[in-house]
Amino acid sequence: MKKIINNPQDVVTEMLQGMVKAHPDLVYFKENEVIARKNKTKKVGIVSGGGSGHEPAHAGYVGKGMLDAAVAGNVFASPSPDRIIKGIEEANTGEGVLLVIKNYSGDIMNFSMAKDLAEMDDIRVETVVVKDDVAVKDSTYSTGRRGIAGTVFVHKVAGAKAEQGASLDEVKAVAEKVIANVRSMGMAMTPCILPGVGKANFVLDENEIEIGMGIHGEPGVERSNIKTAAEIAEILLDKILSDFDYSNSEIAIMVNGLGATPLMELYILNNEVEKILTQKGIKIYKTYVGNFMTALEMSGCSLTLLKLDEELKELIDAPCNTPALKGGE
Amino acid sequence: MSFQLTSKDYVTYIKQAAQLIAENKEYISDLDAATGDGDHWANINMGFEKLVSNEDELSVLSVGDMFKKIGMLMMATIGGSSGVLYGSAYIAGAKVLSGQEYIDDQNLCTVLEAMVTAIMQRGNAQPGFKTMIDALYPAVETYKDGLEIGLDTKQILENVKKASIEGAESTKDMEAVKGRACYQANKGIGHLDPGAVTMSYQIKTLIEYILGKLQ
Repeated sequence: MKKIINNPQDVVTEMLQGMVKAHPDLVYFKENEVIARKNKTKKVGIVSGGGSGHEPAHAGYVGKGMLDAAVAGNVFASPSPDRIIKGIEEANTGEGVLLVIKNYSGDIMNFSMAKDLAEMDDIRVETVVVKDDVAVKDSTYSTGRRGIAGTVFVHKVAGAKAEQGASLDEVKAVAEKVIANVRSMGMAMTPCILPGVGKANFVLDENEIEIGMGIHGEPGVERSNIKTAAEIAEILLDKILSDFDYSNSEIAIMVNGLGATPLMELYILNNEVEKILTQKGIKIYKTYVGNFMTALEMSGCSLTLLKLDEELKELIDAPCNTPALKGGE
Repeated sequence: MSFQLTSKDYVTYIKQAAQLIAENKEYISDLDAATGDGDHWANINMGFEKLVSNEDELSVLSVGDMFKKIGMLMMATIGGSSGVLYGSAYIAGAKVLSGQEYIDDQNLCTVLEAMVTAIMQRGNAQPGFKTMIDALYPAVETYKDGLEIGLDTKQILENVKKASIEGAESTKDMEAVKGRACYQANKGIGHLDPGAVTMSYQIKTLIEYILGKLQ
């Protein structure tokens, strides 16, 4: 294992410590592994979180126009409810809090427990569960579809809505609208190494790729030999478009790297994705290319499509200023 | 016959359960190695050790607040799915006990029922899934039946203990539906579920403690 770390036990803490040093408008609570905004305004709070190893998710999305707090678990392990409660408390300004949860059994249990505890303390909490990955129906760590990069669109849209002063019900409704209209599909080329484990969590042969693999290395739909960018774009889009009808729509797309894939390759993929979508008459309103929801040093990508209406366009365009996503100002 | 448990009494029970769990390290770890991650004993043992180390604070709380505190400590210490399931159970029990002076023959069955219901809801699991529920659910049903037909408290408690132990035993022939064991080719058939066994240790210890107080 070659990693820039000290003790594998300390990776989450030391990462978050390093993060607040780079982004002084964030505050870090070591006891609970929570990153929150330093300057609070009175509005609905948005909190997300989950296992670490998917950076910049989720702490990288804390800031104006997106999350108010992010709660980190250990690598690929859900944070416990006592940590999540701290995130809720930091995000709560009396207007209630929305929890954005990726659909993994551990996250569902821990976040819903935290919701119950917060409600015992009279904090109003609502939850939404993101399940955008069309690859498989059920998976190793989830009942139903997995939540992956589409979660970032939920953060963006719900965060923008909350920033406008919307109520908790309105913010939840728009988050649900994103979830209903977002689909993703990924592929992996090399495995990742958990710092505490020290060796790869699965094996792919030199020229082999796995279509539909999850962001923790969960099994996908098929293994095949390495393909061209054009073929990969076609495979991923086929699966997404056969699941959801994006024809005649305006959409936002996210070409996401899993950690070890160079931006060069992500832009090459984006070039192919645009060709296919344009040919099908699907209009791309906004494109995101980069590492938004990673799996440590796994190489590979995911592709996410979000169907937009006027409300979603406005919220996607709204200003945000976070370590991992800025714009609109 | 009746009984009343204070927080101090319940903490005494916790210490006895902690000891029984600690003594069975090898047995539980072997069960888990056959079907799971192999970390169940270490996690639950750590949780009970944490409770024991907080005995002074727990003993002086009201029974409801003590249950909530136990739930929070277990969630934070045991971690993973077991932690949040035990946490959910104790916090559901805390809601029943809120404002009550004792855990007694009037409320214990309701407390245990709230706990098993919380575990089933949080884990989205049913009896027969080869989990800790299989040691708790039959105990609660037996308790309810005993109250309904008007058995005396001692008889009910003995039946509850027996139901829990037999419930844990019954997981041997079950196919796992949740958790790590369900990814194995044979779904863990032929092996006891370690979570059900440690649950039955807790029920057995609690009932024996209460029986001791009855006499």
